[in-house]
Amino acid sequence: MSIFQVPTDAIKLITLLFNGLITSLQVFFLTLLFSLPLGLLTALGRMSSHKWISYPIRLYILVMRGTPLLLQLIFFYFAPFYMLPPGFRFSLPRFTAAIIAFSLNYAAYFAEIYRGGIESIPVGQYEAAAVLGFTRTQTFFKIILPQVVKRILPPISNEVITLVKDTALVQILGISELFRVAKNESSRIFSTTPLFVAGVFYLFLNWIVTKVFESAEKKLSYYR
Amino acid sequence: MQILKVENLYKSFAGSGEVVIDVSFEINEGEVIAVIGPSGSGKSTLLRCLTLLERINHGTIKVAGETMVETTPEGRVVYASEEQLRKIRLRLGMVFQNFNLFPHFSVMRNITEAPIHVRGLSPEKAREEAERLLGKIGLADKADAYPYQLSGGQSQRVAIARALAMKPDILFFDEPTSALDPELTGEVLKVIRQLAAERMTMLVVTHEMAFARDVADRVIFMDKGQVVEEGTAEQIFGDPENERTRSFLRNFSANHK
Repeated sequence: MSIFQVPTDAIKLITLLFNGLITSLQVFFLTLLFSLPLGLLTALGRMSSHKWISYPIRLYILVMRGTPLLLQLIFFYFAPFYMLPPGFRFSLPRFTAAIIAFSLNYAAYFAEIYRGGIESIPVGQYEAAAVLGFTRTQTFFKIILPQVVKRILPPISNEVITLVKDTALVQILGISELFRVAKNESSRIFSTTPLFVAGVFYLFLNWIVTKVFESAEKKLSYYR
Repeated sequence: MQILKVENLYKSFAGSGEVVIDVSFEINEGEVIAVIGPSGSGKSTLLRCLTLLERINHGTIKVAGETMVETTPEGRVVYASEEQLRKIRLRLGMVFQNFNLFPHFSVMRNITEAPIHVRGLSPEKAREEAERLLGKIGLADKADAYPYQLSGGQSQRVAIARALAMKPDILFFDEPTSALDPELTGEVLKVIRQLAAERMTMLVVTHEMAFARDVADRVIFMDKGQVVEEGTAEQIFGDPENERTRSFLRNFSANHK
């Protein structure tokens, strides 16, 4: 019977890792869902001419980009309990804390990418739109943002690829994502195979991410 | 009917001082005005003030009788309400030196986007109008092209069509041929000549003296932010009164032989 044990073990391992993968994907998609729009708002705030808007946002970006994401995960999990006075203390579910930390962190990076993109659009585009009578909102959403999206796709894809791999960090809060599951399984069966398979999973995910961005770039290549 | 009235307009920038100094003139319906003068004489800034791209420091601007901006006796510059300015803006068209076409829109959409979303025209109507304009500028076959596929001359003609599609009362041109290769200026000037023949009210900032001479009803010569001389094309080019005008035209023809 021993010859049938190998495929059974393989299926077991894959199933196990797959469950971890689902959690990793949840972190990945929820982070993108929140951080992409939040990053745009942050970029607009960062470019605001009101100092009481732009300065706090600069500080926020500095802190989020300047401290380890790992530390931020721990902070958002523990701070509501340990940093609030008694009576106001509460704790967030691990997963919620992880999504908040990831979204705020990635929004800071995305914000700077958006800002770079927005500031690279020639002022003539705004002027042409203004003379044609477009409102500021119309100008931003019809004229500026579509051109920004094309320009920022390559740096955004960098961040998204990093995000796939960064999801492994949520294990610090005891969340059973792909990497943690693989690591535990590795210790249990005294083999590096689970870690290697997890690596293949990450690579596969990023292959998909790369393909998605390639096709998006291609779709936007109809103009220069 | 008077389309534009400018009185005692001043514009200065922090750092570069006064760029437009006490400029006054008017334009009547159907008139073509050429503004000439050396680089840095304030011509473009003047145009940017008239099209609300810059805010003035002093003076009055009226468009078709409506006050865009005026200055109180105490010297306070008061612009009309946003609502009012939006209406006034619809009367003004602008053609830029660098075209400023929207690169992500086809030629057709460059022309129809503002009529649809600003004037509220139906897409069918806007398309129809755009096709007519494209025919007029000789680019009927370029409706589906994107700006990067056009030559400079074609781009500028599309920019003119885009401005015309808003049915402005007056069209401003800011050195419309200065960014073009010499062999491409002709096709753009031809379109402007055609508009002049149709009595489109226009103010053209230009370095094309021969063109200004042919097309303009009146010529304004600016130097160092001031209007030095104003008159008919024959007067300014044939028998300029001011020494600065004379020396500018003399240098100009010497450099362009």
